[in-house]
Amino acid sequence: MSPGDALFAAFALPFMGRALLVLLVLSVVAAVVGVLVNLRGLEFVSDGLTHAVFPGLAIGLAVGGTAGLVPGAAIAALAGAVLLTLFVRAGVTSDAAVAVVLTATFSVGVIVVSRSDDYAGELEALLFGRVLTIAPGDVVPLVVVALAAAALVAATMKQQVFRAFDPQGSRAAGDRGLVLDLVLNGAIALVVVAGASTVGTLLVLALLIVPGAAARLASERLWRLFPVAVAVGAVSAWLGLALGFAASVGAGVDLPAGATVVAVFVAVYALMLVGRLVRDRAARAAAAGER
Amino acid sequence: MSDVGPVLVLKGAAFRHPGGAGVTELRLSVRPGEAVAVIGPNGAGKSTLLRGILGLVPLVDGELRVAGASHAPDGMVGFLPQSAELDPDFPISLEQVVMQGRYRRLGLLRWPGRHDRQVVRAALETVGLADRARRRFGELSGGQRQRGLLARALASEPALLLLDEPFNGLDQANRDALLDTIRTLKSRGVAILVSTHDLELAREVCDTVLLINESQVGCGPVDDVLTLENVQECFEGVGVEIDEHTVVVPDHEGH
Repeated sequence: MSPGDALFAAFALPFMGRALLVLLVLSVVAAVVGVLVNLRGLEFVSDGLTHAVFPGLAIGLAVGGTAGLVPGAAIAALAGAVLLTLFVRAGVTSDAAVAVVLTATFSVGVIVVSRSDDYAGELEALLFGRVLTIAPGDVVPLVVVALAAAALVAATMKQQVFRAFDPQGSRAAGDRGLVLDLVLNGAIALVVVAGASTVGTLLVLALLIVPGAAARLASERLWRLFPVAVAVGAVSAWLGLALGFAASVGAGVDLPAGATVVAVFVAVYALMLVGRLVRDRAARAAAAGER
Repeated sequence: MSDVGPVLVLKGAAFRHPGGAGVTELRLSVRPGEAVAVIGPNGAGKSTLLRGILGLVPLVDGELRVAGASHAPDGMVGFLPQSAELDPDFPISLEQVVMQGRYRRLGLLRWPGRHDRQVVRAALETVGLADRARRRFGELSGGQRQRGLLARALASEPALLLLDEPFNGLDQANRDALLDTIRTLKSRGVAILVSTHDLELAREVCDTVLLINESQVGCGPVDDVLTLENVQECFEGVGVEIDEHTVVVPDHEGH
């Protein structure tokens, strides 16, 4: 198989096309939300939410089959977002709050899943996703959930950045911190929901965290962070799917699609990290040369 | 415009943090263009008063009116906090920080337009930092950051500006720049409340002094209020800065 086949022709296959569409929308939205996560230092809260979604998925699956996944996850994630926001506000440190929510919800999820007949298979699908077997009917709900997250952050973007930079100043200017926190945590939760049934609850964290962190390596200009993160997310999603396809179909190595996508995200981050180190070293050398 | 009445009125006002410290019995009226020095020892309630006017500390007694309303109208009050704990690595430029002063007027969905950029530019010129507009905020010196935050407060085009200990830790050049800015704002009709424990500052730019120590000790023209007796009552046994020397005011028995 030629690289062109893997990068372009492969996506003419319906299941690959659906995977690409959902992953592109998801990774673009996750990148935008992820820049705010990075600026606010909410990485661990995001981690907690990915786990909080798990029992929602499990209960949704038990009650309504695969059609119950998205509603179940959405309810669990939004409940988790509200709980975490209130915990942190009540003075519980966010690390402790996250640890409590994370372990409690995960254990509930495992108990629910263990009641079903195909314990191992279902657990794997929930944890690691099923990006290549997204049903045609699932595409619209997933895209809607992702776009809802995008709408939440788009409506509060200026205020979110203000609060990230100077929470006191933002409050003094009349912004309601609790509302902004609920909106941002809600957006994170929705991204996790959309990601949970595609790349899985564990791997979706990479889609949220990596592009924002990569953008911080590439730029110190505030409004440039967002396009950089979006580019990192979209290109990594595309390359990841193509690579998985090439390996599985072309080379006969069966790579799990979701994990391959995440591996490419991390590889792109590593490349940008190396680029940053080289640039910093060159800058230091230039500064030393001037002396 | 707003020269028809006082910008700020306090009538027997008391502000108190929930379950915490407060400041009581405040009586004050501030006209456009008037500068009031809020003077008192540490813990006297200076910050509580300023935050109370902003609505961040609850009014528990008496009356507060800003421009005739019981709640400060959007963008009417500008605030320069005592010391903002800001991440020096945050990727944001000085002009973007100053633009935050416009957000209250813009609301949620609207983005800054040409007029907002002009206001930001003018605010940066007022504080003398127009040539640093595109620098990253964290790269600026401490004094420049403080002036940048003042420019942010100005960008909201406030009728009332609240400055909380703005001279703490400033070198002479930045201190002079800040004093100039206060004079400029007064001449434009902005009412100013500046909390400080620096009595010299009060003499330099303020018309009125409000002496507080958990409740109001005195209020009036600088020379009438900054009497030895009042200052003694207010600062009993506490260090006071006069001419950059610290004087410890003895208590009434003269110890």
